[in-house]
Amino acid sequence: MWQWFFRLGSPKWFYEMSGKWLPWLLVLMTVLMSVGILWALLFVPQDYQQGDTIRIMYVHVPVASISLACFPLMAVAGVITLVWKMKLADMVAKCAAPIGAWFTAVALATGAIWGQPIWGTWWAWDARLTSMLIQFFLLIGVIALRSAIESPDAAAKACALLAIVGAINVPIIKYSVEWWNTLHQPSSDFSMDENSAFGPEIWVPLVIMIFAVYIFFVISLILSTRNEILQRERRSQWVVDIVAKEQV
Amino acid sequence: MFEQIQFNSVAEFLQMGKYTFHVWSVYGLFSIFIFVNLFLPRVQRRQFIREQRNRALRDAQLAKNTAVEQERESASEESS
Repeated sequence: MWQWFFRLGSPKWFYEMSGKWLPWLLVLMTVLMSVGILWALLFVPQDYQQGDTIRIMYVHVPVASISLACFPLMAVAGVITLVWKMKLADMVAKCAAPIGAWFTAVALATGAIWGQPIWGTWWAWDARLTSMLIQFFLLIGVIALRSAIESPDAAAKACALLAIVGAINVPIIKYSVEWWNTLHQPSSDFSMDENSAFGPEIWVPLVIMIFAVYIFFVISLILSTRNEILQRERRSQWVVDIVAKEQV
Repeated sequence: MFEQIQFNSVAEFLQMGKYTFHVWSVYGLFSIFIFVNLFLPRVQRRQFIREQRNRALRDAQLAKNTAVEQERESASEESS
């Protein structure tokens, strides 16, 4: 098991394996996302209160929920960096921060566009919205911290610590809608139960979109981690070979 | 589970009830987001490869020049 764990930590191994996974992930993402978007735009029935703005949910909810995965991921990578000094973990953590910032920004923007007709306001200092904004600033903080420290090892350690501390915000965001009764509604109860407020025609496309956006997150993380690997390993022979071979 | 298509015409679909701007701006933003995040790493990768090639060329040129110089120096030493 440990051997497997450390092989996974080898940038070269990860680079080669992820190259094989990428085409499959891209196909899977394209299929799921096309089905999900078409279903959401064309087939989901209008909400009796919200009308067609219900279709915004199929972008907003997946993006927002996956933006929450970023800090735990960076925190786990941070622990691995601090305990085992695994180079790959730090590369993943470094690449996850800007992607997470993108996800958080898109979640905030789509939420604002949804909130305007439904709540009558683009923004409110509601618990959920504010804790998401804090997550955005924390991610910008992680990115800034890394670029401010010159020594890569020191930057890795500092960012790992900040990620571990910053992960405390994730449960706050998650439960903000239950702890504080402000504007943002709690998560809906999407169960298979027949008494559930939502039928499968509402939640099946949502589940498809969540999977599609998750795969999209994984793909963009793999793509930028591969670039980071090439950059940091540029003196190794295997990267020199790739540089010599590739058509640009 | 499968409902029918909710719109009677393309125009109705594009209109999205009262919420033309809201629905389409969200989907537009989402498309840009996906496009940028898949496209940018490609651009960065190409940039990296180009940089590394230029560096390799420069290094090779430098090595050649030093070799020529050394040869010249040893030749002049011999003749003196």
